[in-house]
Amino acid sequence: MIVPVALLVGVLCLALAGWATWFVVVDRAVILRQLWGGAVIEAALVVQAVVAGVVLVVGDHDVDAALFWGYVITQLIVLPIAAAWAFAERTRWSSVVLLVAALTVGFLEYRLWQIWENS
Amino acid sequence: MTTTPTGATRPTGSGPGRLLVAIYGILALAATARGIYQVTTKLSEAPLAYLLSLLAGLVYCVATYALATNRRSIAWPAVLVELVGVLTVGTLSLVDVGEFPDETVWSGFGAGYGYIPLVLPFLGIWWLWSTGRAHADAKAVAGPPPVG
Repeated sequence: MIVPVALLVGVLCLALAGWATWFVVVDRAVILRQLWGGAVIEAALVVQAVVAGVVLVVGDHDVDAALFWGYVITQLIVLPIAAAWAFAERTRWSSVVLLVAALTVGFLEYRLWQIWENS
Repeated sequence: MTTTPTGATRPTGSGPGRLLVAIYGILALAATARGIYQVTTKLSEAPLAYLLSLLAGLVYCVATYALATNRRSIAWPAVLVELVGVLTVGTLSLVDVGEFPDETVWSGFGAGYGYIPLVLPFLGIWWLWSTGRAHADAKAVAGPPPVG
């Protein structure tokens, strides 16, 4: 895993969470632009997964593969499903869902980093 | 709380229920993924704990699905199983019986998951109960007017 990408994912997740929090405060539902924000995070996650895969195949970094890829897959699943689920609700609660999803992906990034470093 | 004129129950996946389902879904994903990982990589170390871990994950999946699609008759038992599970396994892990500690979402009353597994069943029960009451209220409102 590469530090800049992990940091980028973390920052993007916090940014999306902040944006969603603001929408909770002003009583608005999730908008399409926020979903694009989620898509940017998702793209970063895909890049990260590809890079990690290449490093694991080519390099000599050792990791608990089942655990690591389990987290990678879980992390990739969260945002698309949560975004669709949030977008279908047209109240403030849709923004709360997006907030929770963004924080979850950020937390999973932190765990992923731990797994990568500790093995 | 809105009640519809038709006397229908409030959908369990709408409003605050949207958030409840989302949290259930995340926990379902986390617990199931962990269970699959444990069962596929180290089942022989602690078969009971790991199978229970996977079972817990599947129950969360069922609860998520039922709450999302407003299937109360499935949601009620699923949520109750979670409550019994977290209280039982939580207590067993406290008194340190056998293989339970730290190996399932329910160990230590869900301490490894921010105690969310302990809080969720209560929220689920309250939500099913309160949205079900909307049904009763709506029927009372929609009922025949008193004669005279």
